[in-house]
Amino acid sequence: MTATDISAPAAGGQPTRRPRRGGGPARTTNRITPWLFLAPALAWLLVFSIWPSLNTIRMAFTNAKPLGGNERYVGLENFALILRDDQVVNALLNSVVFMLICLPLLTILPLLIALLVEKKLPGITFFRTAFYTPVIASAVVVALIWTFMLDDRGLVNGLAQQLSFISEPLPFLTERWLIVISAVSLTVWKGLGYYMIIYLAALGNVGKELHEAAAMDGAGAVRRFTAVTLPGVRGAMLLIAVLVCVAALRVFTEVFIMTGGTGGAGGEALTMVMLIQQYSRGFSGDLGYASALSILMFAITVVPLLLLGKINSRSNA
Amino acid sequence: MSAVTDQRGAVPVAASAAAPPPPRRRRARGFGSMSLGEKIGRYALLVFVLLICVGPFLWQLSTSLKSRSEDIYTRIPQLWPSEPTISNYTRVMEAIPVWSFIGNSLFVAVLAVAGNVIFSTLAGFALARLRFRGAKVALGLFLATLILPGEATIIANFVTIRTFGLADSLLGVALPGMIAALNVLLMYNAFRQLPAEVDEAAVIDGATAFQRFWSIAMPSVRGTVAVIAIFSFIGAWDDFLWPLIVLTSPDNFTLTIGLQYLSGTFSNDQRMIAAGSMIAFVPIAIVFAVLQRHFFKGVEEGGVKG
Amino acid sequence: MRITRTTLVTGVGAVVATALLAGCGGESSGGSDADGEITGSIRFQTWSLTPTYTEYLNGVIADFEEANPGTSVELLDQPGDGYSDKVLSQASTNTLPDVLNLPPDFALPLAQQDFLYDVSQATDLPATYVEGSVEAFRFAGVEGVYGYPWYLGTDVNYWNSQQLDACGLDSSAPPATTDELFEQAATMAQACPENYLISRVPGLGDFTLEGIDILNEDGTEFIFNTPEAAAIIDRYAEAYANGEMPPTVLNSDYLGNSQLFTEGKVAWTTGGATAIDSFEENNPSLKDNVAISPALNISPLYVQGVSVAADSQNLATALAFAEFVTNTENQNEFAHIANVFPSTQGSDGDTYFTEDDGTPSAQARVTGFESLQTAEVLTPYSVNGAMNDYLGQQIALAIRGDISGQEALDTSVEKLNDLLARQ
Repeated sequence: MTATDISAPAAGGQPTRRPRRGGGPARTTNRITPWLFLAPALAWLLVFSIWPSLNTIRMAFTNAKPLGGNERYVGLENFALILRDDQVVNALLNSVVFMLICLPLLTILPLLIALLVEKKLPGITFFRTAFYTPVIASAVVVALIWTFMLDDRGLVNGLAQQLSFISEPLPFLTERWLIVISAVSLTVWKGLGYYMIIYLAALGNVGKELHEAAAMDGAGAVRRFTAVTLPGVRGAMLLIAVLVCVAALRVFTEVFIMTGGTGGAGGEALTMVMLIQQYSRGFSGDLGYASALSILMFAITVVPLLLLGKINSRSNA
Repeated sequence: MSAVTDQRGAVPVAASAAAPPPPRRRRARGFGSMSLGEKIGRYALLVFVLLICVGPFLWQLSTSLKSRSEDIYTRIPQLWPSEPTISNYTRVMEAIPVWSFIGNSLFVAVLAVAGNVIFSTLAGFALARLRFRGAKVALGLFLATLILPGEATIIANFVTIRTFGLADSLLGVALPGMIAALNVLLMYNAFRQLPAEVDEAAVIDGATAFQRFWSIAMPSVRGTVAVIAIFSFIGAWDDFLWPLIVLTSPDNFTLTIGLQYLSGTFSNDQRMIAAGSMIAFVPIAIVFAVLQRHFFKGVEEGGVKG
Repeated sequence: MRITRTTLVTGVGAVVATALLAGCGGESSGGSDADGEITGSIRFQTWSLTPTYTEYLNGVIADFEEANPGTSVELLDQPGDGYSDKVLSQASTNTLPDVLNLPPDFALPLAQQDFLYDVSQATDLPATYVEGSVEAFRFAGVEGVYGYPWYLGTDVNYWNSQQLDACGLDSSAPPATTDELFEQAATMAQACPENYLISRVPGLGDFTLEGIDILNEDGTEFIFNTPEAAAIIDRYAEAYANGEMPPTVLNSDYLGNSQLFTEGKVAWTTGGATAIDSFEENNPSLKDNVAISPALNISPLYVQGVSVAADSQNLATALAFAEFVTNTENQNEFAHIANVFPSTQGSDGDTYFTEDDGTPSAQARVTGFESLQTAEVLTPYSVNGAMNDYLGQQIALAIRGDISGQEALDTSVEKLNDLLARQ
């Protein structure tokens, strides 16, 4: 369990030297104790996450409808249908591209914001809270403000035209890749505050002493960042990368907002979860097909996680 | 104080391994103060990010303060209400039992926070700091749960809640949200950051796993606990579809559902809807402002000084 | 935080392994006797009517309880958003309230799976309700009627008279047909390039309007890919290419045209008779600037009904109450306070719906009531969300000019037939 440890030890420890076992597990004599610690969490997840998901797996092999009825097993029919569905390829591509752009942005920008609000300054609580508001803003209002920004006659196009950057308005909300880019901006905007506080908590663990010591030794800001801050938040950074991957592949709300729920002309901006929603929604949804798509989604999400794990263990080698 | 090298072994950086001697404290204050230029620069950046972040929030605030003679939807959003009024707030209070909805939401949110803080710290601690057979499988299970497809599980969960006899109850709303795999992983990560030395000493002293958890590890991860509390509070507070499905009697409704009544079938006054959203925002802001202080208290005040 | 292949694979493996254990359970519960005694307690679920109409609903309940001693009715009003999810979850756990407010498109799947009681067994519906509204709850392939018709709605046209008059048009003679609509849109685009008249894309309803059949007679196949339907789309595409529509019409679901109308970005929208109040409420400057006219060609008919759960433990009471809520007297009272239209016969004698006192709200009501006499249900209830989404996406492609209207329709019909066959 400790062979590929990436987590740098925190303040109070010796961040600049690899400790013997990292933050690794200490000896336990009792076999039962760890499971007692885990039991409530595992039981909960089993009942409320894993069990219902098993039901999803079962439904993928049926023609299940929301209200039941002549449900029967259809074998791999739903999966065969996926292969023939043009929209799936499209949605997969959108989801993956979306993830690839979001991943670097959302692992780095929130860290910079966290560093900005980390220092105690008068009024800093206000700024921290304000930076968090996009996370909790209602979708309706976000849609309103963002369409005002990105509309053909919106703020961004208006400004760009006035400054003669462009002659024709850019169709941010109606052309496939521009929709994706608009949705990425919205996602990053909403994600800044969310990941910022994870970083803040991690930075809190780095502690002042290290920075002070580094500063006294004449290390500049950049040096302190790479030698003290970065190693201190590496664990958080990897976790955030995982979360961003999972969340970005499952993007729904942001593209939904940007396309008014339509998925764009021809469904060209559809994402996987939008497609799943399209089929599972309402009384006459096709739960069998939606479940098969969900399983595909699950399988695809595993890939970047394995890659991240690999990158991680290599950089530790 | 010992000079060691960083992982890449390039430039020697001084770092303190043991508890800092008293003089360190004084220098700490010196380090905390920054030059005027840096201050101005930081505030400029803060204001810049602020401008990017608060648009929707400001729009909502301003809409909630607009009088009934003022247009809500203008080509260019009008941020300053021409005749500010708080009448929209009083109208919301008259239209729906806001306080009872807030009470219901608080009940659910407090359960969610308690459940997540207790269960995910316990589980995270076991995964990160106890050695046992099956730890890998357990960790994998939490990771897998994180990426499980959740689209079609809501009805299945409702069936479970009904089997427990908890349909149309606030406990039924709170129950599934009392643990999230994400929080377990966050705690796991936080506990792993602690140096092994701290509890090896405790093991030698014969401390039990729970003692190590409670008095050594927990005080050092308060920042992450605060993050989890914020996440679970907001998650429970903002959730719409799940409470809607579990609850049927309007008396039991949470605030998010109750506010929906402001956008009725035949009337749709955006000022009231905005005032309702602002009311829902206040408790979140308080929780956030109170808990964010703990982000920075972790190590400095904890017992992990070696 | 570490992720290794083994960790993840074991986790995933554990999940999949347990999948084999998953099964499904069902339960059934019998209903009670429809001819039984009218007594006991029932639950009545409405959709987004409180707090505005709480007083009215409680009044109806009190009257019913007084007329039928020993009964009690619990009112459970559900919010507007997520109602289909709510009803769906109730149906899948056999917890539908005894009496519930449903539109026909929600009632259809419930009736098909025997969740609703055939109310025509208990009541002679055509004696009380107008024919069209009863028909709305009669579904192909299921014998019976699955809801008492309640209130009705239709769309009328709202025009921004200020913009019309300023852009070379006459707000007292707004377009009455699709042809006139496009002519005037062109005029408007020329006179005021900053303003738009049209901000919607056509859908199935538009095809019905032009007399194109959506489904074949037995409802088994979509057949709307006719040249006439293609011509409608191409016409919109042309208007789009000429800059007569805002580009966001391609995403018209969310911030639909009524929103754009309230913002003053477009000069035309459709909406129910009550929409005028919302426009003026949100943008008071629209007061006295809105002209109202009947919908183009045929008016759409929207029906709300009151259905009875088949497994109600108090069927006799539930039926009696559902009938009571929708009787002439109660419907008339509701129509007056809520500005909707009753589905009971004889309301045309009510001057409230026929005489225009000059206020925009009365004008909308009278126009709507007139249109109601010829209104039709424009979209078949068997068209589900996925079908609508797909068709909308193809039509948007055609409007943007990527494909022709005919191509959009052919692709859509093929896909929709696939989806229909899987239902």
